[in-house]
Amino acid sequence: MEAPDEQLMLAYRDGNAAAFETLYLRHRGRLFRFVLRSVKSRATAEELFQEIWMRVIEARERYAPQARFTTWLYTIAHHRMVDHWRRRGLSLVELDEQDPPGDSPDPARQLEAREALARFAQALEALPVAQREAFLLHEEAGLSIAEIAAATGSNAEAAKSRLRYAVAKLKAAVQDD
Amino acid sequence: MTDERDPKVSRRYRELGAEEPPTGLDAGILAASRRAVKTRLAPLVPPTGRRRWYFPVAAAAIITLAVAVTVHVERQQLDPGFSGLRSEPPEAKKDSAPQAELRKAKPAKPPATPQPLSRAADAVQERGSADARPESRVRSAAQAPARLLGQVAKADSPEAALERIAELRRQGKHDEADKALAEFRRRYPDYRIAEEMLKKVERP
Repeated sequence: MEAPDEQLMLAYRDGNAAAFETLYLRHRGRLFRFVLRSVKSRATAEELFQEIWMRVIEARERYAPQARFTTWLYTIAHHRMVDHWRRRGLSLVELDEQDPPGDSPDPARQLEAREALARFAQALEALPVAQREAFLLHEEAGLSIAEIAAATGSNAEAAKSRLRYAVAKLKAAVQDD
Repeated sequence: MTDERDPKVSRRYRELGAEEPPTGLDAGILAASRRAVKTRLAPLVPPTGRRRWYFPVAAAAIITLAVAVTVHVERQQLDPGFSGLRSEPPEAKKDSAPQAELRKAKPAKPPATPQPLSRAADAVQERGSADARPESRVRSAAQAPARLLGQVAKADSPEAALERIAELRRQGKHDEADKALAEFRRRYPDYRIAEEMLKKVERP
């Protein structure tokens, strides 16, 4: 049975570097995608991703498992993202070129799938920052409404409202396909 | 957990891909995490105000105390009053044992006869071991004159103490010799005094 995140973080706090490695490998992908899809620039995402983990490392001695580690991690991520958005004036960056996966050998269908995915990506990108963040925290990080509220410093009602708006807009984008 | 997911939206979101950070970035972060646990963080709030000088002052106080104790012990080692056979003044009976010792330790009282340093050191050493026994300390506080005589016995081996008592006899200080002999018997109840020595230490 795998050790829970909170236990690993406490072990790291007490000097166990291997515990951090396990924790990192467990969360690196999801956190990276959360950041990447928030900023849509790989270079910026890598920079922010690294800074978030450095903050986790620096904050280890103050860590206390009052909530799920995931909530704590994404709270740190949220704060770092807010700093980033403030500096950028909340502007959205260009959508990176994506190579969507597809099994169909039919070039027409491939193109259609690619366009559908691009529309979805654009819809995601077009979401207001708070709604996109709520969606990514729910969809990518697996946070509940209450945890989203905790991580973003809002209340449950606001978090739920943001998430519902985001899902409704994305759903509309999917149904247009 | 309330799941607000829409299956179609979720599926489409997954199709965006599963990007991961580059391995170089992973290595850098993991190296930083290992370095961090090797070097503990400095306190977030450095000591200020009273705490800034608290530790140096405490260290200075400890050093001063250590020096004072050392000087005090050295003075005691050189003070022959601890091994002398003089009777204490009457007011010493009213003092507690530590107060009497402190007064005797004052260098203002010159020794009647200079004592060999080794014997004085022996006296201090023996006195230290006696101080470690609480019952001995209480008894000596109650009987100050006997305590001084007792120190004679404590200061030396039984043989040396007997020699000292014999010397008192030769000098005609029989009262002091009697007290010293009584103290000797109390301190060494199972010591068998040789016949020849017995003649020297007992009152003729």
